Order: sequence, then structure tokens, then C-alpha cells
Amino acid sequence: MSAFHFDGLVWHWPIAIYLFLAGLSAGAVFFAIMLKHFKLAERAYLSPFVQAAALIAPIAVCAGLGILVIDLTKPLAFWKILVFYNTSSVMSMGVLVLLVYQLVLFAWIGSVFSLPVNKWLDGRFYLLTKCLTLLARHEDIITGVLVILSLSLGAYTGFLLSALIGFPLLNNPVLPLLFLISGLSSGAAATLLGGVLMRGNPNGIEVKFIHRIEIPMILVEIMLLFTFFAGLILSGGQSQVAALNAIGEGFWGWIFWGGVVGVGLTLPLAFNLWMKVSSDRKFTYVAVTASFSLLGVLLLRNFILYTGQMTGV
Amino acid sequence: MDTSKRRFLKGCGGAIAGVSVYSMTRQPLARDAAEESEVKYAMLHDENLCIGCNACEDACREVNQVPIGVSRVDIVRTGPFGEYPEQSYRFSRHSCQHCEAAPCVKVCPTGAAYIDKETGIVAVNEDRCVGCQYCIAACPYQIRFINPVTKVADKCDFCQQSQLTRGLQPACVLACPTEALVFGNLKDPNSALVKTLKSKPTYRQKVDLGTRPKLFHVRTVDGEIVL
Repeated sequence: MSAFHFDGLVWHWPIAIYLFLAGLSAGAVFFAIMLKHFKLAERAYLSPFVQAAALIAPIAVCAGLGILVIDLTKPLAFWKILVFYNTSSVMSMGVLVLLVYQLVLFAWIGSVFSLPVNKWLDGRFYLLTKCLTLLARHEDIITGVLVILSLSLGAYTGFLLSALIGFPLLNNPVLPLLFLISGLSSGAAATLLGGVLMRGNPNGIEVKFIHRIEIPMILVEIMLLFTFFAGLILSGGQSQVAALNAIGEGFWGWIFWGGVVGVGLTLPLAFNLWMKVSSDRKFTYVAVTASFSLLGVLLLRNFILYTGQMTGV
Repeated sequence: MDTSKRRFLKGCGGAIAGVSVYSMTRQPLARDAAEESEVKYAMLHDENLCIGCNACEDACREVNQVPIGVSRVDIVRTGPFGEYPEQSYRFSRHSCQHCEAAPCVKVCPTGAAYIDKETGIVAVNEDRCVGCQYCIAACPYQIRFINPVTKVADKCDFCQQSQLTRGLQPACVLACPTEALVFGNLKDPNSALVKTLKSKPTYRQKVDLGTRPKLFHVRTVDGEIVL
């Protein structure tokens, strides 16, 4: 059996990239909000990390949706998915979440950057200035709603796959949690990488704050991954077959142990711990750790998508 | 800060209360029993009568204009079992099971996959389908496919458009030379289908998934016992 072509394979790697980008967008926004709320307050718009997140989040979610539309067999009919809804369909509800998420995301970006943008506009475009001021006045509500939406979006990427009852590895209650947490950590990594690339201070309060959350998050992710596979193996039957097919010998086994567990979780955890004890963080440290995390999450999405469809009930 | 937090929490509480009240009003407590249709189509494949001639596959392809490379019905052949000259094969039908609780219908984002209330047939509304392939991934029987011509998720619909509207039985049933296929109304106690179902032991695939399929099989006496 080839790793990328086998009987029963329906969804290919574009879907994995879409799942990755949606989770990344949600995670980046989540961490930008946390940074602003706990550390930066009114000066948030000055931070290269918040700026990076404000760039990455909309680009990632739009690119992901673009990939999704191109992957349809009738891409030009995509608007029908926005017109017709089915409340029992996870995908339909996800489309709804994605729509509202994008609206609120742009509203939030507008409210956070209203001060510098209005200063730059300097009285021109009166209507835009008024809009931004209005958004800024309601920033608290926009932020609260966006936190809920970003968490929903992160979990949705998992629910989308866990609704497939024919595949025991996907039809698993731990999957949405696993995708939510790994999506958040990919968002954190993207924010860090984007921030230091935009000349943010690799030893600044933003990096320290995110790293402090990242260590327990990686530990939780390892625990979820363990529960995921232990649960499948203990269930017996086809669940056990699916789990052992996935993490046993073979191409995807290597991807799992080397890519997801090694590069994606163990190395970033070690680097994070090392950075915690060493007095200062350097650009390379932060950039490499973040890149490893991102690669790990991307591999995890592909690994779950492909191995999930390998074994049916 | 505190007032805004309170305002936000109030808003959230209001939204949750609204949603829960709204969903309660929609509870189908008094579903109209009279609305239930008198017709519920199902099919039976007798693996003992089937000789694996594939006439059903060809008839289906012709009547429903199914392009080469994909198919709505497959007769899967396993074997041979036994020693020459006492050899035999096992033939099982691989096609839409017309589940009462169809996973494809549940996951379809646009409602393109739907259950016809009149007949219980799981059908496809071609105009609504966008080709996300969620239904193909969701079907535990893996019988859905993308039609290479129309680009729509396609499958057996008991010849709903091609034969039933003209008062004819599905093409595969008419083509079968050994009458291994029985099609009929589950709600009609005098139908050949119900009589066969009551006289022969049948099985359905993957019933533990709760899909309640309406494609019945009579297990062949040939073949081997698989544990």
C-alpha cells in the first residue's frame, strides 16, 4: 500500500493544509489577544508580534479557504455552501463559524490598530475614521466574541474529521481537542516567527509570555496524543488495527515518531526549557523552535488525515 | 473594565438563553403520524441465486448513463472456494444501502444528499452539490463517487429518476436472469420483498454503526467461515 494512494482515500493533502491554516489562524489570533490583554494593553499595536499575528491570521484563513474552494469538484459552485445550510452537518456549521470569524477578525484588527491608522489618515476618509473609532469603542465585545470564535474554529477542524463514522481513527472524541491544542501552538509559533522576522525583540516580554504558555501546552499535546492512541488501542477491533497501522512501521510511522513527536514536540519542548533557564533568547533560537513547531503541526494534520482514511470499520 | 466584562457576560448569557429557548420551541414533540409516507423502498440480494453475470452492472450503466470507470453497483466476487471440480464463488452486491440514518445526508453541507420523504430513497440533488466529497468520506460502505461527467457526488438511487417514475422496477432488478434481486415496498406486507424477508434469513452490513441500511443480503451457502 502506497502512503499517498490507497483504496478508500477521499481527502488528500490540500485538506490537511486547509486544516493546518485554519488552526494556525485561530491560534495566532488567540495569542495576539492574550498578549494584548495580559501584557501590552494600549501599546499592543506597536508590538511586531501583534502586528505579525494581525497579518498572519487573515492571510492564513483566506489562503486555507482558497485551497478548499479549489479542491471542490465544482469550485465555481462554492457559493451554494454559503447559501444552503444543514444544521446536522459539521462542515456547514464550520462554514458559518468561518464566515463570522473572518468578519469579527477584521473588526478586531480595525479596533486594535484604529489609533495609528486614524493618525495616518489625518482627517481624510471621514467615514473610515468614524468606523474605526466605533470599532475601537466596542473592542471589549469584539475581543470576547473573537476568543470564542477562534476556539470554535480550532476545534471545528477536528470535529470535521471526527464526524466520519466509517474511520475509527478519525471518529474519535479526542481528535477535536488534539487539533484545537495543536492549532493554538501552531498559531503561537507563527506569531513568534513572524514577530522576530519583523524585527521584534527575541528577548522581549511577548516571547517570554508565549513561551511560558507554550511549555504546558506542548505537555498537554503529548498527553492528548497519548490518550488518542492509547484509547484506540484499548478499544480493540478495527480501532486497534487503525492505530497500529498508523504508528507502526512504514512511511507514516516514521512521520509520526520522527516528525510529529520528534521535531514537532520533543525538540521545541527541549528548546523552550533551555531558553527558560538561559538568560537571553536569540533570534535563531526563537525562529528555529517556532519553525519546528509549525512543521510538526503540519505533519500531524497530514498524518491524521492520511492514516485516518487508511483503515475503515 | 468591570462594566464591560459584565456587559459581555450578559450578552453571552442572553444569547445562550435565546438559543436554548429557540431550540426547545422546535422540538418535534407532536410529529404528525399521518405525514409518514406509505412507501419505503428496500432491496434484497440473494447471494445464493446470484451467478455473477454482471447483467445488473451493465443495465445500470446503460439506464442511468453511468460513465466508464465508475459504477453505482458492483458485484464483488470472492473465491474460488473448494477443490476442483467442486468449486464455487461468492458474489456480494456493493451499492448504496439507502440508510434510514444516512451518514452522507447528515454531513452534506448544502443538503444535496437527502432522503426522499415519499419513498425513503437516499437521493442526490445535483444542483445543490458543490463536490466537497464529505459524503464520500462519511459513507461507511464507500459506495459514493464523483461522476466524472457531471462532477457531482453520485450513487445508486434505486433508479428513482430513470425507472420508478415510469412505473418500472430498477434496471438491475429487471436485468437479473436468476431473480436474485428483489425490490419493493417495506410497508406493504403483501409485497414480494416483505415475503422474501420473512421467509429467508438475511443480514445487513455494518448495522452496529446505527445507519439502519435498507439493502438486505441472503448469505451464500458457499464460501468460507471468516472469524
